[in-house]
Amino acid sequence: MAEAVTQEAAIAALQEGLKWSTTINLEVFYWWCTALMFIIHAGFLAYEMGASRKKNVLASGIKNILAFAFMIPTFFFFGWWIYLASPAGFPDLSADTGGAPWSETMGPNLTDNATGIFWAAFALFAATTASIFSGAVIERIKLSGFVILAILLGSVVWILGASWAWHGEGWLLTKFGWHDFGAAGCVHMVAAFFALGVLINLGPRIGKFNADGSANEIVPHNVPMAVFGLMVLIVGFFGFLGGCIIYNGTSQWTSIFGNPVTLSAVAFNTLMCFSGGIIGGWITTRDPFWMMSGALAGIFAAASGLDVYWPPLAFLLGIGGGVIAPIAAKWLEKLGIDDAVGAVAVHGFAGTFGVVAFGLFASGYPNGDYPDTNLTGQVIGAATMLLLGFIPGYGASYVLKMFNLLRIPEKVEILGMDFVEVPIVAYPEGMDSNGKGVLAPAE
Amino acid sequence: MGSPIETWDGAAAYFTGAGGSSPGILLAISVIVCFAAIAYGALTEEKAYKDHL
Repeated sequence: MAEAVTQEAAIAALQEGLKWSTTINLEVFYWWCTALMFIIHAGFLAYEMGASRKKNVLASGIKNILAFAFMIPTFFFFGWWIYLASPAGFPDLSADTGGAPWSETMGPNLTDNATGIFWAAFALFAATTASIFSGAVIERIKLSGFVILAILLGSVVWILGASWAWHGEGWLLTKFGWHDFGAAGCVHMVAAFFALGVLINLGPRIGKFNADGSANEIVPHNVPMAVFGLMVLIVGFFGFLGGCIIYNGTSQWTSIFGNPVTLSAVAFNTLMCFSGGIIGGWITTRDPFWMMSGALAGIFAAASGLDVYWPPLAFLLGIGGGVIAPIAAKWLEKLGIDDAVGAVAVHGFAGTFGVVAFGLFASGYPNGDYPDTNLTGQVIGAATMLLLGFIPGYGASYVLKMFNLLRIPEKVEILGMDFVEVPIVAYPEGMDSNGKGVLAPAE
Repeated sequence: MGSPIETWDGAAAYFTGAGGSSPGILLAISVIVCFAAIAYGALTEEKAYKDHL
């Protein structure tokens, strides 16, 4: 009898220990995913500052930093609530869906080890959408107008898209069998097409286009920094992709859509599509900027199926993304769109390709009670994400333009934003290079 | 404001002021400050432009 009681107590203690181990491991996993995702922003910072002309370098950096800073509190105020309240369509005001900023779980709470860590991971995804948008509009957007648009994108539009397209009960999954493991739709397509809507109203940089419509290349002032920034961004992506997987503790990982998945699968496919993207960009352009942008485009081209693809397929899709991105950028330029860093081409076009490619190559996967994965669902989802991004981006920037809150004055653009808006100088000792190199006598 | 708990045993929400009115007040202030900062930024931006035009 005493032995039975002891055994029972031991089993109960083990079960309690296993429960705590699972809880703490979940927190730790998403904590480090969030930390890694900060590296995405270090990458974007270097990338956008490098892509700017010297006279705008710090203004571009400030813009990027401020987008991040305003994203966090606004995501606390209303972004997380939108995600939890909207999987069926628009926010459900009739039920307590969680995520309201005054909720007892939206702060330190010993009965809840999960809300903060998931909020943080999604806040970093939100900041990523703002950073995607940020690069496209450098060198001529007003800082205040940009911040308003970034908040709209990061704390309202993309997170609404995530509720529809990256949620276990999102309507795109439940009605159409949509699948998008790596958020090519709700993060990359939404942010890119939002940027496109803004670019149409913002207009090109002075000097980008000639009277006959031909385009001039506005050269980045620091290509090595831009290229390095893109590689740093990729490092951060391991946090992003880690955040795409659900830790279940005592059973197999699952995707947000509920299918079983392994980190091993994601590891195979991420490395393969990243490599393919670089190769695709290199074949198409020989340009290191497009090689590294190709790495990103390659990831987005395979993102939807990183959990299920045969790795060589991910590699080939990656090459496709790396080829599509610079071609799409040239095409947009021919249409008179000045996207300073190719954000619409890389995130929007490669993301769309990726979402639709999943329907072509990965149809028929079971989705429990919901439709199996299929091409029609992917096309419907792609169209939804495109419109969800474009319409608010175009509409909000149109309103800002009406109130003169969108674009800096022409004289400021010519003088340089740093000179007018920033109290410090980026390169006080100069940073000129005549490209000739310096020879010193050998010793 | 301050601690909402007297013991850690059985504590749930333990953030400063939990269960009282201060979190709501601070939330409202932080919303106002956040959007006031954007407005302030817009004003200083316009002033910088005017100074150089």
